[in-house]
Amino acid sequence: MSPIIRFDQVSVAVREKVILSNISFALFPGEKVVLCGKSGSGKSSVLRTFIGLHAVAAGDVYFQQMQLTAASVHSIRNATAYIGQEPVLGAETVREALLLPFQFKAHRNQRPSDARLIEVLNRLHLTADILNQKSSHISGGEKQRIALARGLLLGKSLYLLDEITSALDAESKQAVFDVFSDSQLTVLSVAHDKEWLVRCDRILELEAGRLVGERTHGNA
Amino acid sequence: METLDIELPRMTLLYGLCLLPWLLLRMLGLLLSRDIGISVLRMSVQLALVGFYLKWLFELNNPWFNGLWILMMLLVADFSILRRAGLKARYFALATFIAIAFSILFSTAFLVLWVIRPALFYDARYIVPLSGMILGNCLQGNVIALERFYSSLSKNENEYATFLMLGATRIEAVRTYFRDAIKAAINPTIAGMATMGLVSLPGMMTGQILGGSEPWVAVKYQIAIMICIFTSTTLATIINLKLSLNSAFNDFDVLRDEVIDKQS
Repeated sequence: MSPIIRFDQVSVAVREKVILSNISFALFPGEKVVLCGKSGSGKSSVLRTFIGLHAVAAGDVYFQQMQLTAASVHSIRNATAYIGQEPVLGAETVREALLLPFQFKAHRNQRPSDARLIEVLNRLHLTADILNQKSSHISGGEKQRIALARGLLLGKSLYLLDEITSALDAESKQAVFDVFSDSQLTVLSVAHDKEWLVRCDRILELEAGRLVGERTHGNA
Repeated sequence: METLDIELPRMTLLYGLCLLPWLLLRMLGLLLSRDIGISVLRMSVQLALVGFYLKWLFELNNPWFNGLWILMMLLVADFSILRRAGLKARYFALATFIAIAFSILFSTAFLVLWVIRPALFYDARYIVPLSGMILGNCLQGNVIALERFYSSLSKNENEYATFLMLGATRIEAVRTYFRDAIKAAINPTIAGMATMGLVSLPGMMTGQILGGSEPWVAVKYQIAIMICIFTSTTLATIINLKLSLNSAFNDFDVLRDEVIDKQS
């Protein structure tokens, strides 16, 4: 089985400051992997590098067999959902936010029905009432679930999650756990939350931009 | 009808009027003497030089010199736009030059060749002041458009990245900021047209009336120049922003950090 994400001796510098140094790891389909480390150790930079938001200074990044280049970055972004700590919904109402990707040429012909929107919302423990609410009036936890719903509506199977459970209430957290219990979904995450770590297959430890270890939860 | 000249003693009296705002500002604790002094001096020297040069240009009335004058105005405007918008000339000078040159030449040519139709199409009395007025207003619009667009993009970096991740192309992802920037750039011109003659008498019309023109002729020229300003500002800002997208982003559609002039 070939890896879905592969970093091969990757180094990244932003404004002449090295933020990732000689990172190598692979992530296989269906795996749930978490990046751990102190603040500034480069965890979020790994996620951002994979989707082309940071330029690779040395080494190679692969999605399946495809190398990350200017030509392939759109395919990689289209296959990946990236959800940060404070997701941006980018639209006035929740319904508009959910339908936003379907305004773009890449997804214009895949606009989901209302029934499909509600089905995905229910999967995330949200009700149909939220559709007409203003994006600015919903809670942080709801925003993260809406961002996640967009990924599900687009049929994405690879998720990059940056501290998404840190500010969630118990109900939102359970909804997120339920979604990612699906073995079809592959997850590369950044987290400190123990409940999340328990559910991950592997923990990659980062320190000052270097990968310093790998373990499973409870196996220090 | 000749315009009354202002002789030197009365010009001196006029400069004396500056003492009133200077004194009031000083009483408010605003110590702007140096700034006011430099600005008044620069205005006087620059306009005196332009006065001499225009007198010579009008007497010569040579198409090449007229063209050279317009080219010089465009180059000065180009660098002035980028400096005021806080962007590095190295990346945007060509895009801005193409945008303003095309829109100014198009609207000035339209106005002079098809509307006013002077005996000599290159007559300095028409093309120099008209293109200058259009360019002056167009400059303001381009500063607003570029500044608004790139500051929105920097401020909303996460939103822009979210759009890319949701399948947007670079053009689709910047569309909101693009529209907002164009709207902000042309709004002052649209508002200016709506209140023209009510709030103030426009400068060009006032100048023509003082110069002895019939008010009706002055009104027609004012309408002509406003339509040209509106057209060229809209054209220039759209072309400028579109062209700037080629040099502002890297191959991965990420805004290049080095294009913003952090010192401005």
